[in-house]
Amino acid sequence: MIEITGLTKTYGSGNKSVNALNGVDLQINSGMFGLLGPNGAGKTTLMRILAGIVNPSSGSIRVNGHDLTTEAGKHAVKSMLGYLPQELGMYTELTAEQFVDYMAILKGLDDSRKRSQRVAEVLEMVGLREVAKRKIKGFSGGMKRRVGIAQALVNDPKMLIVDEPTAGLDPEERIRFRNLLVNLAADRIVLLSTHIVEDIGQTCRDLAVLAKGKILFRGSPAEMLKATEGHVWTLTMSGLEKPNHDLTVVSMLHLAEGTQYRLVGANVNGYSNAQPTQPGLEDGYVWLMKNSNQQVEFA
Amino acid sequence: MKRFSVKYTLLTYRLDQLWFPLAFWAFFVILTLLLNDQELNFNIARAYIGVAVPLIGGFMAAYAILDDPAIELRFATPIRAAQILFERTLLIFLIQGVCALAFILFALFIGVDFSALGDSLNLQLSWIVPTISMIALGTFGAILGAQTMIGSFLVGLVWIIEVIIRDAMAVNNWKYAYIFMGILNPEHPDLVSNQLALFAASAAFLFFTWLLLHKQERYI
Repeated sequence: MIEITGLTKTYGSGNKSVNALNGVDLQINSGMFGLLGPNGAGKTTLMRILAGIVNPSSGSIRVNGHDLTTEAGKHAVKSMLGYLPQELGMYTELTAEQFVDYMAILKGLDDSRKRSQRVAEVLEMVGLREVAKRKIKGFSGGMKRRVGIAQALVNDPKMLIVDEPTAGLDPEERIRFRNLLVNLAADRIVLLSTHIVEDIGQTCRDLAVLAKGKILFRGSPAEMLKATEGHVWTLTMSGLEKPNHDLTVVSMLHLAEGTQYRLVGANVNGYSNAQPTQPGLEDGYVWLMKNSNQQVEFA
Repeated sequence: MKRFSVKYTLLTYRLDQLWFPLAFWAFFVILTLLLNDQELNFNIARAYIGVAVPLIGGFMAAYAILDDPAIELRFATPIRAAQILFERTLLIFLIQGVCALAFILFALFIGVDFSALGDSLNLQLSWIVPTISMIALGTFGAILGAQTMIGSFLVGLVWIIEVIIRDAMAVNNWKYAYIFMGILNPEHPDLVSNQLALFAASAAFLFFTWLLLHKQERYI
């Protein structure tokens, strides 16, 4: 279990300081947990703190009882961690098998027979067994991501952190990747950080929305949808007319009778033909972002 | 748990960091063969082992830790800061050592007389001490500034200043920080104190580098 209390992270000092995280409180249990937020929300900082790479400015974080603010705690957490960073750098002159093998050695898998068996297992799991002996430099972006997840899994981690894992993947690879993460979440904590709402909706029972370093929402996707009910409409307008600026256009569709807008906002006063619509997770996210200047209490 | 592999340390080592010292080695060998003068050969040999080898070592050390494409993944593993530090700097020292020893053997083979540098221990210390000093300085500079360029700039600056004012450095208290004393002033009465001081300074640089390496967020 991950317990985060009053977590802050400030980069720089004086006038140039930036608050990446501002009083984050979270409790994350076993299973798949989604962290959603726009670019620059503080997701990567939070992931790096949980991976023991970045030190928090204040607050406490415990992972399975280990205090991540101490060197001993960091060492213990790193020993049970699988980590796939957003910007995945690799030794591209190595083959996929060699790279995963090397990461296994760095993670402490000393027995060469067991290690080689485990390396083969994880490469099979991510569908790279056939190309295991090929150098990484010849791989596509999706294949490199899969090598990344294989190295994260090689030590059978109790906590798996994946930061923006589906960025740059084609739809088929994204689906395969999401399914793999869901399978892995059966017996460990899997933390999925992303700005792609669909990835969370398809995989997580539990999620948090982070914006400007603060948690805006914490709950299930269903609770997020419930909180958005009554704030989503469809409206068809003809000619060059457009919805007013208080309403956010989530999507638009050109029809024979005009343009159909899907709108999120507090109300649709002045638009008598607006039809209330069942919200989707993307609508919920947009509604949260609209209200991100003030803390929104939901669940 | 050893968390270390010689095979992968070598496989992930940047090849240009191997060609660079080898190219310098070959250049000095060719220069010696072309000039083919007994007195000049000695000067070329000591310029290579005591001045060029430390400079190359320092430059390479500045890039040793931070110029790692998988640095974030490495930081997320439970390997200790000391391992990250010594895995890379030791390899650079070994490469420079092989180059220096190979050049000494080549020089001896063509008849260069190294007796002016003292006994065989002093001959070895004349390249070991400055090379360790420059490697420690390069590593420390890069880690302190969290940029490889800062480490190599610091190495270049110290190296060139000391080469220019070498005579002045030998006669006042700067003699303890005089990196090239063993090769350029081997008869100096304070040579041993100088070498001990440089070893101590190198140890201090490496210690502070180790401390700074715990702040991993500075380097990603």
